[in-house]
Amino acid sequence: MITLSEYFMTILITCMIVNLGLALYGVFFKPNLIKKIIALTILGDTANTFALIIGYRMWVAGVPSRPPVFTEWRSNNPLLLLVFTKTAVDPLPQALVLTAIVIGLAVTLFLVFLTLQAWKIYRSVDMRDIKRLKG
Amino acid sequence: MAWNIPELITGAIVPLLAVFAFTLPLLAKVFGEKKFPGIWALIASIVAAIMSTYIFAVVWRTGKDIVYGFGGWPPPIGISYEVDPFNALIAVFTAWIMVLISIYSLWYNRHFDEPEWYYILLIGLEAGMLGCLYTGDAFNLFVMIEVLGISAYALVAYHKHRGEAVEAAIKYGIIGATATTLYFIGLVIIYGVYGTLNMGQLSLLNTEIYYQRPDLIASMGVATLLAVSLALWVFTYKSALFPNHFWLPDAHPEAPTPVSAALSGLVVNIGVYAVARFMYTIFGPASTIAPYYRDAVLTALFVMGFVGAFVGAIMMMAQKDLKRLLAYSTVSHTGLLYMALAVGMSGVPQAAVALGLAAMTYHVLTHGLGKALLFMSSGVFIDSAGTRDLDGLAGVGRRYPLVSASFIIGFLSLMGLLPLGGFFSKLMLYQAFMEAGMLVPALAVIVVSAISVLGYAKAMYSVVFATPTKEHHEIKLYGIHYMLALMAVGLILLGVLYPWISQGLIHVANSSLIGYGVREYQDAFVKAFHALLGR
Repeated sequence: MITLSEYFMTILITCMIVNLGLALYGVFFKPNLIKKIIALTILGDTANTFALIIGYRMWVAGVPSRPPVFTEWRSNNPLLLLVFTKTAVDPLPQALVLTAIVIGLAVTLFLVFLTLQAWKIYRSVDMRDIKRLKG
Repeated sequence: MAWNIPELITGAIVPLLAVFAFTLPLLAKVFGEKKFPGIWALIASIVAAIMSTYIFAVVWRTGKDIVYGFGGWPPPIGISYEVDPFNALIAVFTAWIMVLISIYSLWYNRHFDEPEWYYILLIGLEAGMLGCLYTGDAFNLFVMIEVLGISAYALVAYHKHRGEAVEAAIKYGIIGATATTLYFIGLVIIYGVYGTLNMGQLSLLNTEIYYQRPDLIASMGVATLLAVSLALWVFTYKSALFPNHFWLPDAHPEAPTPVSAALSGLVVNIGVYAVARFMYTIFGPASTIAPYYRDAVLTALFVMGFVGAFVGAIMMMAQKDLKRLLAYSTVSHTGLLYMALAVGMSGVPQAAVALGLAAMTYHVLTHGLGKALLFMSSGVFIDSAGTRDLDGLAGVGRRYPLVSASFIIGFLSLMGLLPLGGFFSKLMLYQAFMEAGMLVPALAVIVVSAISVLGYAKAMYSVVFATPTKEHHEIKLYGIHYMLALMAVGLILLGVLYPWISQGLIHVANSSLIGYGVREYQDAFVKAFHALLGR
């Protein structure tokens, strides 16, 4: 018998793996540039979710995870700190994800601009129509 | 707290370049002069070059790595920069070539309708490259690769009204962004396995696990292998290693000529550097992926380099476009670099590995300088003839004797002719493979050089020696030919000073990438950790 949290975690991980495959398929094999960019954002989101899962404290059985904010620092009690470090979610992957989201925004914006430029020149966003270069 | 000047300069160089870049549009509005952005970028690159030279001088003289923790946070907690002789040397090279590229861009200025945007991206490219080189944090490397990447994509698409330029940038950008995202996934796996992203600490942990907890190797090895494979894609993509080379021949003809010089001469080296850093310093012979997985990764890199060296050399013969020909030459030379990089498999004596890595560094220098020279001088010819087509360029070199002489010296160096840098770097590659007992790659270096002679000879013949079929239009050089001649002299010096350079490079390889060099890298991290904690 699996618990509810295990059930959700399994669904999450399954979705992530499927998304990863779909996103890579979309980036490489979809001819439409907009669809390629959407696939790229899906890939980025999958990577970010993966980072959050790595930082999530799912290995502490029976203890609910806490946000990584230590509020009892005034009390000077080392035991509280110990409990905090045992149960709090790792904040570093969240910092990584924040950075990755910002970078992803910039890259996506730039690619969308290029797509717009391609539309202005070729009146198409289909890679098959755009293909002039040999590679 | 005592101010440590080398550390401060290490930390300041990339933020300073960012300041230079982002004040540019405002200042360009204030001054309103069309030449101003170029001069500003030249100042920025000269400042960066002087700073990186100073860093290199300090690292070389003291023999100690510089570690700078941003914001005063000790290395594994905050982001840190770590400079050892290897990345200091490549950074000096990069920064000075960027000075030359900035000077050339000033000459090229009339092609730019809005020069301020071009120069922001050029400074951004330099900031990205220096950041990639100096960083001691694997996640910061990801950020810097994106800085470098987005500047490079945008520079390729600079002539945004040309369809080919936009297409080349789309190709380069979409796959590049995918590769970088996969590198991010690799980093997350590394973080999950090791609990840190600091390169020094990763290296230290690897060594400790290898010698003290061999029972953990089996469980950590597979995950680490996956992470390393994901990480290597983006590095090999940036350095255009076969089969990731497809963007390079498309991007070069469409990019402005100084950008082609930067992409082929410098950006390629960043990928090679990052792979060397990953496969030698972090996941070296004493790590969780050693020896079988590491050998497998190095063998894969070797095979791709081998195929790439041949594909580049053969494709070069079929090209009609001068810049595409040079691009395929880059693919070929990148292949050689990766073949040299893969020399450090298990069972190869350490002296041979040091020789191979020194040869790789030497080839990075000679190829980078030679390729930058070739792109810049071909830019003169292309402007004069108004076409990139080799038939249209026939005989254009006769009008510019000094530029032609530099152009030919560049080609002869890439070919590997005796007194020039290219010969000695190829000789050193050959020696390294022989020492390592790898006969086939040693012969491949010679065969690849022989094949590529055909492509180079075609380009040299049609540009300089062929009879002009039409009247070429004369362009003003404004002294740019003296700079090109200076680079040609640099290539000759790289060859003539071979005994000293090779000794120095072997020292660099020994003190950065293998044996006690890796230990020094780890020790510098540990010392910085304690110093910043106040112990």
